[in-house]
Amino acid sequence: MTGAAHAPALEARGLRRRLGITDAVAGLDLTVRPGELYGLVGPDGAGKTTALRLLVGLLVPDAGEARVDGVSVMSGGPALREALGYMPQQFSLYGDLSVAENMRFFADLFGLAPAIFRQREAELMQLTRLDRFRDRRASALSGGMYKKLALSCALLHRPRVLVLDEPTNGVDPVSRRELWDLLYQLVDEGLAVLLATPYMDEAARCHRVGLMYAGKLLAEDTPAALVKGFDDVTWLVHLSDAADPGARDAAEARLRERPEVRALSPQGGGLRVVVDRAGDAEFRRYFAAADAHWRLSPVAPDFEDVFLRLVTHAS
Amino acid sequence: MSPFLRRTRAMALKEFRHMARDPQVVLLALAMPLVLILVFGYGVSFDVEHVPLAVVDQDRTAESRAFARAFSAAGTFDVVATPDDPRAVEPLFRQSLARAALIIPEGFTRARARGEAATAQMLVDGSDNATATIALGYGDAIGLTLAQAELPRGLSAPLEARVRTMFNPSLRSAVFIVPGLIVLVLVIVSVMLTALTVAREYEQGSMEQLFSTPVGRLEIILGKLAPYFLLGLVQVLLVLVVGVTLFDVPLRGSVGLIFLAASIFLLGELTYGLVISIITRSQMVAAQIAAISTFLPALILSDFIFPIDNMPPPLRFVSSLLPPRYLVHALRSIMLRGNGLETIVSDLLPMAGFFAVMLLIATRRFRRTVA
Ligand SMILES: Nc1ncnc2c1ncn2[C@@H]1O[C@H](COP(=O)(O)OP(=O)(O)O)[C@@H](O)[C@H]1O
Ligand SMILES: [Mg+2]
Repeated sequence: MTGAAHAPALEARGLRRRLGITDAVAGLDLTVRPGELYGLVGPDGAGKTTALRLLVGLLVPDAGEARVDGVSVMSGGPALREALGYMPQQFSLYGDLSVAENMRFFADLFGLAPAIFRQREAELMQLTRLDRFRDRRASALSGGMYKKLALSCALLHRPRVLVLDEPTNGVDPVSRRELWDLLYQLVDEGLAVLLATPYMDEAARCHRVGLMYAGKLLAEDTPAALVKGFDDVTWLVHLSDAADPGARDAAEARLRERPEVRALSPQGGGLRVVVDRAGDAEFRRYFAAADAHWRLSPVAPDFEDVFLRLVTHAS
Repeated sequence: MSPFLRRTRAMALKEFRHMARDPQVVLLALAMPLVLILVFGYGVSFDVEHVPLAVVDQDRTAESRAFARAFSAAGTFDVVATPDDPRAVEPLFRQSLARAALIIPEGFTRARARGEAATAQMLVDGSDNATATIALGYGDAIGLTLAQAELPRGLSAPLEARVRTMFNPSLRSAVFIVPGLIVLVLVIVSVMLTALTVAREYEQGSMEQLFSTPVGRLEIILGKLAPYFLLGLVQVLLVLVVGVTLFDVPLRGSVGLIFLAASIFLLGELTYGLVISIITRSQMVAAQIAAISTFLPALILSDFIFPIDNMPPPLRFVSSLLPPRYLVHALRSIMLRGNGLETIVSDLLPMAGFFAVMLLIATRRFRRTVA
């Protein structure tokens, strides 16, 4: 097992899986190293959940392989399960069991000795501030508290690889921040974390990001490098009659028709527009002649622009 | 404790909590046996009483009148009409005024006095099959009793009843029903509950979490069986207690043996419920399959109500593949005849075989995947 030290903690090689008539995952390669926080980002239906399930061995791939510490997840027994911590997207604990009972149950399944369990339970309860809710049924927890409990259950056995499917979905901003602090702390301790999220702002907080769309990675890099490699121009279109939703829809429809417009999304009272660099001069000419109610101001491209541009290009 | 036992125990404890925190389930499980035994014991009693009887006494002697009285004395028959002409019987049947008729021909007493066989005729409305069969049986028995009572005097020849049935009228039906009822109660409640449990985990998403732990399929299955197994045994106890106290059901054999037989049956049926759950992964579908596929065999193919001996060979064959008839047979054998282990081994083995097959299918078909 000398190779194990150099092997990535989590690895996907040519993963494919068809669900019904959809190629939910259509050829996925990625690696997550120990101490790395990898974000799989994409809109709903991109195939993130399917990819994560393939990676933890809950789905059998049609092709390719998923590995944990260099071992195929399909061949791995209990040792592999102990290396992995997984938190599904949906509610997946027992709603009629209390916080403490859920934790105890998963600790038993992972074979934790009682003394070790008590120590880790206390640690996690304190870290997540769940101790006040020890005896509350899981179904009666708020979204944020529930996610913290699910995370605690996935962490009890000290996995080396943590796989989280939309961990902040349905979580209030304060709890969200706390969850992220917790994640950074875990990653600093050497855990490999793979998380799926539809939120671009969250993706920007990861060490590395894979942009997923229609079952494939469109791009993969650090968030900074992805933004840096962005070669288009981003404008913000202010609409003085923005209060009228009809006016915005009309503006959006007209701008979409322009060949140099690569992506378009609402922002505040206006529209954020990504324009092809080669067509930028043409766009400004068109704009000057277009509508007295519109005003144009330049903005720095961000991560979301990169993603929208790539998705438009792919589809 | 070995990891296997530890995980199985954790599963069992969790499952027990689900059960205990769902009061409706517990209530249903405990009320069901009570309701069923009361309904079957009192309501749909197979004991036939107060059958309206028409008596046509063409002999008109003291002896023939005594004979007719013997029929109405037992409470089985109520004399509702005494026409002179046997032809009046059919209209009475048609209007449902009478269900049975006793026709004592002229010369009945004279024949007996001469030591010849005296024949009275019993007519029964065959449209109500169960009552008819039983009424005939009673009539037969009353006639025989009367004859036997007179035999020691050596004066008269035995009376002859025209129709003989296999039914033993001295046997109270609650006695006969309790074993079948135990089977019915166990399949209705217990199989339904286990059929829901695995499907529920798939539907509620917890299976995804469960499969990401080292817990094995056999551990999940055994853990899920445990609480419902105990619940089933409580149900058996309930039926037995009510049967014995309220209906004087005899307990001639060993109670331990009753529970041994019920346990083997329960394990097989509960695991069958899990198989349904594992294959369908849907509570709705599992509940329907469980209800149909266990209730009907338990009711029809168990020898509970319909004698297996009278069934066409294909049905008889099907019944031999399913556990209910073996438990009914074993329980009757233990409770009513006081038989021991050696006579019920032939019932226990097929039930154990069913359990083994179900356990094999359950573990084989149980995939650690979610789609
Ligand atoms: N059980 C299923 N049967 C058929 N199609 C499915 C199933 N589950 C997911 N899909 C499809 O696969 C694609 C990817 O889904 P999913 O992995 O859940 O995406 P994401 O998690 O990124 O929202 C979607 O188009 C979805 O409709
Ligand atoms: Mg998803």
